[in-house]
Amino acid sequence: MTVTSQRKRVVITGLGTVSPLGELADLTRNVFAGVSGIKRLDVPFIDQLDCKIAAQSLFDPAEHFTKHKYSMLDRVSQLALHTSLEAIKHADLNITDALKPRMGVYLGTGMGGAQSLEDGYIRLYRDGANRIKPFTVLMSMYNAAASAIALDCQVTGPNQTFSTACSSSAIAIGEAARLIRHGYADVMLAGGSEAFLTYGSIKAWEALRTLAEEDPDDLSASCKPFSANRTGLVLADGAAMLVLESYEHAVARGAKIYAEIAGYGTANDSNHITQPSVTGQAATMRAALNDANLPPCEIQYINAHGTGTQLNDLTETNAVKKVFGDYAYRLSMSSTKSMHGHLMGAAGALEAIITTLSLNTNTLPPTINLKQADLECDLDYVPNVSRKLPDLQYAMSNSFSFGGTGASLILKKTN
Amino acid sequence: MSTQTYSLDEVKQILTDLIADKIDVDRSTIKPDSNLKELGLDSLDTFDLIFSAEDYFKIKVPSDQIKIETLEDVSALLHRLIVSSN
Repeated sequence: MTVTSQRKRVVITGLGTVSPLGELADLTRNVFAGVSGIKRLDVPFIDQLDCKIAAQSLFDPAEHFTKHKYSMLDRVSQLALHTSLEAIKHADLNITDALKPRMGVYLGTGMGGAQSLEDGYIRLYRDGANRIKPFTVLMSMYNAAASAIALDCQVTGPNQTFSTACSSSAIAIGEAARLIRHGYADVMLAGGSEAFLTYGSIKAWEALRTLAEEDPDDLSASCKPFSANRTGLVLADGAAMLVLESYEHAVARGAKIYAEIAGYGTANDSNHITQPSVTGQAATMRAALNDANLPPCEIQYINAHGTGTQLNDLTETNAVKKVFGDYAYRLSMSSTKSMHGHLMGAAGALEAIITTLSLNTNTLPPTINLKQADLECDLDYVPNVSRKLPDLQYAMSNSFSFGGTGASLILKKTN
Repeated sequence: MSTQTYSLDEVKQILTDLIADKIDVDRSTIKPDSNLKELGLDSLDTFDLIFSAEDYFKIKVPSDQIKIETLEDVSALLHRLIVSSN
């Protein structure tokens, strides 16, 4: 198999996640039932925080790895490796010697091994030590997670890490799909991991004043995308990895195909470091439609970036109207961040998994906590309860970011 | 600087505990002549072990002296540094 100018079809054959809504089976149940994973933060420094809520993923590395192994991996790599192994298992993929050089890893992360770096700084700056653990560099470097996966799976194909803040893992999936499409690889593990709920990181996010206020009646309902009373995003951690492979490769080995990656587009706002732009987001979605060679009216559902900030949700709504015109009022768009919070570098991958589940179950996940209509956010956001859509064929998953890099993925049902 | 003295045997015992904790094995499987590589510790693991030992014994092991293969080698090196720092 070599590089080709012919475009190969790229399909999703395996899913793995550790999310605030649980691993794959629990996620499938919870995301369509409208369950929130937002809780009181479980950290020892909670009293020093203004923001005391988050959507944390439950994960005990000791259940999956030896102590020798996990103690050399930051949580971001532990999550990435575990979810990759789960995705491989889900894909029923046997990584043969022949496959190893044709299989790689593309991973997105916004903050890499944040805890390991912070632990080092705590020793240096707080405790007055003049040296830090020998593994600090190896645990905190951004490519540690992708490297850990390659080492464990012994895959020697392309291995890269993408860091474009909140769109990191959507970019990783899109770029991995391009590799397969043009023959540079047959199989890719693609997705993202984020484990940044450290004292320093949360303080940095507090300072940005984009975090949701705690709902006084129900803290699990604090993230309210597209609702008039939305106050911001809720931080979350976790990982999501997908097995992507060429259609031929999947068929040849008799793999179950969960969806096809029909299109991928990326663009940069070039507008402002934090403020999104309608033009940039519209360009991103159009690029994906062009890539898929689809007219806008084929998209029936959009898994929105939908962070729950005033600015994002209005901008995304207006960008969808710009791209889809009057048809924007006939498609459905929901923000599952209302349930699982914002996984930053892993968000796009988790939402790509949820979009895949939507196509497989013909069900649109809801935007929960949408109780007060915003006159300017006037599309169908699948408010509060999931909905069946039996003829669902094409869905888009949007990811936008601080720094302006957006990514839209278009997934297609495979019959 | 170390303020406490340890016998060579005590250093061996403590080091055995540190290794057992690091690689999560029963300490009875670790013998004085155990080769660190055969126990599953590569060069980076050895740096990490030395780091933990430096913290425990409050000493500093010069980089040019980390040429060690067995538990016995490490114990001897650490003991020598503990004695010389007191």
